[in-house]
Amino acid sequence: MSDSVRPEESAAHFAPSPGAPASALPARARGAAVREGSFDVVVVGAGHAGCEAAHACARMGLSTALLTAQVSDTAKMSCNPAVGGIAKGHMVRELDALGGVMGLVTDRAGIQFKMLNRGRGPAVWSPRAQCDKALYSAEMLRLLDGVAGLEFVEGLARRVRVRASQVAGVELTDGRFLAARAVVITPGTFLNGVLHMGERRLAGGRLGEHAARALSDCLAELGFERGRLKTGTPPRLLRGSLDLAALEVAPGDDPPEPFSHWTERLELEQVHCWVTHTNARTHGVIRGALHRSPLYSGAITGTGPRYCPSLEDKVVKFPEREQHHIFLEPEGRTVDEIYVNGVSTSMPEEVQLEFIRTIRGLERAEMLRPGYAVEYDFVLPHQLDATLQCRRTRGLWLAGQICGTSGYEEAAAQGFVAGVNAARMLRGETPFVLRRDQAYVGVLVDDLVTREHREPYRMFTSAAEHRLLLRADNADERLAETGHALGLLSDDQLERVRERWAAVEDEERRLARVSVTVPGAAGDARAVRAIDWLARPEGSYTSLASLGVEAALPRGLWAALEVRARYRGYIERQRRTAAAAAALDAVSLPDALWSSELHGLSREALEKLRRWRPGTLGMASRIAGVSPADVAVLMVHARRFAARKEPAPAS
Amino acid sequence: MQPLVDTIAALATAPGTAGLAVLRVSGEQALAVSDRVFRGSAPLTRAAGHTLHHGWAVGPEARDEAGGERRLDEVVAGVFRGPRSFTGEDTVEWSCHGGAVPARRVLDALIAAGARLAAPGEFSLRAFLHGRMDLAQAEAVADLVHAETESAGDLALAQLSGGLSRRVKALEERLLTCVAEVEARVDFAEDVGGIEIPEHVREEIAGVLGELDALLESAPWGRAVREGVRIPIVGRPNAGKSSLFNALLGEERAIVAAEPGTTRDRVSERLVISGIPITLSDTAGVRDARDPVEAMGVERTLAALEGAALILWVVDGSQPFDPSGDPLPAQLKGRNLVIAVTKADLGVVVDALEPWRAAEPAEFRGVHVSAATGEGMIELRAAISVQLGAGTPGGIASAVANPRHTDALARARGALSRARDLSEVNGAAPPGEIVALELREALAAIGEVTGRQASEELLERIFSRFCIGK
Repeated sequence: MSDSVRPEESAAHFAPSPGAPASALPARARGAAVREGSFDVVVVGAGHAGCEAAHACARMGLSTALLTAQVSDTAKMSCNPAVGGIAKGHMVRELDALGGVMGLVTDRAGIQFKMLNRGRGPAVWSPRAQCDKALYSAEMLRLLDGVAGLEFVEGLARRVRVRASQVAGVELTDGRFLAARAVVITPGTFLNGVLHMGERRLAGGRLGEHAARALSDCLAELGFERGRLKTGTPPRLLRGSLDLAALEVAPGDDPPEPFSHWTERLELEQVHCWVTHTNARTHGVIRGALHRSPLYSGAITGTGPRYCPSLEDKVVKFPEREQHHIFLEPEGRTVDEIYVNGVSTSMPEEVQLEFIRTIRGLERAEMLRPGYAVEYDFVLPHQLDATLQCRRTRGLWLAGQICGTSGYEEAAAQGFVAGVNAARMLRGETPFVLRRDQAYVGVLVDDLVTREHREPYRMFTSAAEHRLLLRADNADERLAETGHALGLLSDDQLERVRERWAAVEDEERRLARVSVTVPGAAGDARAVRAIDWLARPEGSYTSLASLGVEAALPRGLWAALEVRARYRGYIERQRRTAAAAAALDAVSLPDALWSSELHGLSREALEKLRRWRPGTLGMASRIAGVSPADVAVLMVHARRFAARKEPAPAS
Repeated sequence: MQPLVDTIAALATAPGTAGLAVLRVSGEQALAVSDRVFRGSAPLTRAAGHTLHHGWAVGPEARDEAGGERRLDEVVAGVFRGPRSFTGEDTVEWSCHGGAVPARRVLDALIAAGARLAAPGEFSLRAFLHGRMDLAQAEAVADLVHAETESAGDLALAQLSGGLSRRVKALEERLLTCVAEVEARVDFAEDVGGIEIPEHVREEIAGVLGELDALLESAPWGRAVREGVRIPIVGRPNAGKSSLFNALLGEERAIVAAEPGTTRDRVSERLVISGIPITLSDTAGVRDARDPVEAMGVERTLAALEGAALILWVVDGSQPFDPSGDPLPAQLKGRNLVIAVTKADLGVVVDALEPWRAAEPAEFRGVHVSAATGEGMIELRAAISVQLGAGTPGGIASAVANPRHTDALARARGALSRARDLSEVNGAAPPGEIVALELREALAAIGEVTGRQASEELLERIFSRFCIGK
């Protein structure tokens, strides 16, 4: 484990990145620094996971404490100032349809909105928004402040108190104790965090902020198997020092499309991003200083994400590339801070400044904060069940980077799942588990608790085998009923969703009845059903009007209608495979099964199954090393086990 | 493991020569699927449970010249309605003629009609899950599934060693790269960019498709390897056919006599050469037969040549070669031959090239042998195995023999040809996520043959090919 070498400095010597302005702090945050007492749920950490968890618990009627080192850092964007992106945007839409908060806050704090993958089919369109990061924190605080039963507590968790394998509460470093029936831990990169910049090693979770070392030790004492991961962030530059006029502009969409199903329309002046590139000189500086990079000197032992490599990695692994893209993204409307997307680095500060200044537009750049790599502990997620509750300690949930993921959206999704499940358990309700064919959120959790992870897990659309069913356009159709049943959507919201989709279906039926005249293959004119024309590559809902067909569906539903028309056959195919998979997921495997004798399974399968303890036959089938034959044998054991458990009929 | 939603089919009796071969079809659609193949006095869907029905199995697409359905085998279909059946589901048991070929053809037809080839132990598993077996039997089912899988696994592995394994794995590699190229553009649009399905990916898809076609063309041949091939021994009377037949079998089987024309009927015997099961059939010597009894034998001999994978032509090496008046060489033109010049112990006066010129076979190998001394017998066996291997590109080792493999590769080909058609749409850019869907289906099907789960490798490949992370 990481503790062998203790960092000599603390990251707290640096100035932290700004959080919400003091004026934005809600009234109820006052007194947070001294508050203690007894709660239904304590959520440790107010990042993207913690906010969703606390919001869900409080909205579901439980008294909830949200514990954070500093209230103004609530929902802080530690890395890039953006929400969404391919597959991530899908998850935000899903959370929004379930009653989560990330989409709403993004709409309020967004400064540039863009639908990614427009060039492909609507099934993989994905929304993303640049945000004003200080505003994002402020808007999240404002939203949470309005939720009854949610209390902010300022302080640092020292340990989780456990009695007889059941969680009892959280002890703080200043001696306060928060008693709780359920605890959700969402510490992000703070769990034993170590920051690397060249030869310098600093203890901390973010630049300028302390690490949570005691909490990690506590988890080790409780018997959790931990691992070490690494991620990184690029330097931030002073906007006024950049020659932005020399660079290509990357504008937002016009009109911008909101993230949230509950935002009618976005009224904002969008900001620009800019594009520039590294060059041979940049790469030369990197190569010349490689020996000073902790990645290459061996100082970093945690595994970093391959999908988000440092500039050092890019230069070394792709030597044939003469340049790499860089996006310059403003961190806010008023903040003078620019995020340099594409040059995540752990080089020494002076090397960072040297290579930054080789880049066009950045020749006279002033660095506000250097980039760095951060290593942190995580808990190997095979120790969690499908609700993200720890098997070892009942009442204890984990969410976010502590489970081995990366990304705000991945964290938020887990925070939501953990919070809802903590609330449902305390309310005596059944677990809330989304299937892989229902939501990316379901794919995420299922991947976490059935697979081995060697790098921080990020969501990709290719992770979803039922990708065509899981679209950003139909998140509400898929999940609003569930959100309503959870108690997180109002009757009115559900009614709106039903009306929207009824409108799509009505329009679909109507277009199957009317025909349009379009050019045929031989240059002649042919009449085809409007719905069939919509299914063609050149067909679109917007152009129906020019063909003499009324097209009155609201803009937000066009994509949904087009995708239904165009991909009908494929969607049907995916529905069938999804139904077959769902049948396996419907067979539950009792935890006690893993302690019983299970013959007929291969040795490898048995070993894996006893490690992961899958809750359903479907989950078992997805564990590497478990063959279809093993699943068949398990099916027999599950049936036999269930039959034995049944009480003998009265004689 | 598939859940219990589909209809499964498999051979229920041991493969090989027997009086009967029984196929079992089980599942919700068992009767409907069977009706697509069965032609009797009434459809099976209307039949009562526990009844037998005589009829014919017909091929799903194959038509004879008159445009009618092609009969595959005369069959008796037993209808068992669930829950009163072995599996507890609607079941049809097809009794076909013995030997591997008729049952195999009927099974192919049933799969084409919508059944899925059953996994090892799947009938027993279904029986258990439908409550047709009690708890005491359950443990036996688990063991059975395991055991059947183990043996099936061994078999598949054995078949995969060598050429086929290399060929399929090479295709999988190429396909994985195609999927990575397409997926990378879907998931990392801003990092990868470029056009949706680049030209080199289209070419690669077409290339893999061509290879799959070639592999599947080898499937009937590979099946013959798995299920055996027939080799007729032909030649003029008294050329030494029966002696050679016996020498190959290593036992007295045919009547051997110095009088020409002694063997009037085919005599068949099975032997194994290089792991290939062979049915060797001795035939009557061919000449312008004057004896009417012999003439019938000659007719049968010529019939025996039909459909034979390889013909062993026996030529008397002690007499000068004279093809005049011999009807045989003309029958052997374009065939796959092994020419055995016999009686090497009596002094050879014939060169194997002489009969080769007379017959003009497509493939041939000549050997000088003596049944009496055993001279040349090893070479003869070698020649036979080489000639059998010459039937496929890459030889027998790379032929697809296992029906499960054929099934999987055929599905891969189907998905891949849809991917090709999609990516060749003129004009508008083909949607990457749809092409990817087909490519991944093809990859998964090939993975059933190689046993590889490629999803993790996919990311590996994307990250190694493309610089992701703008």
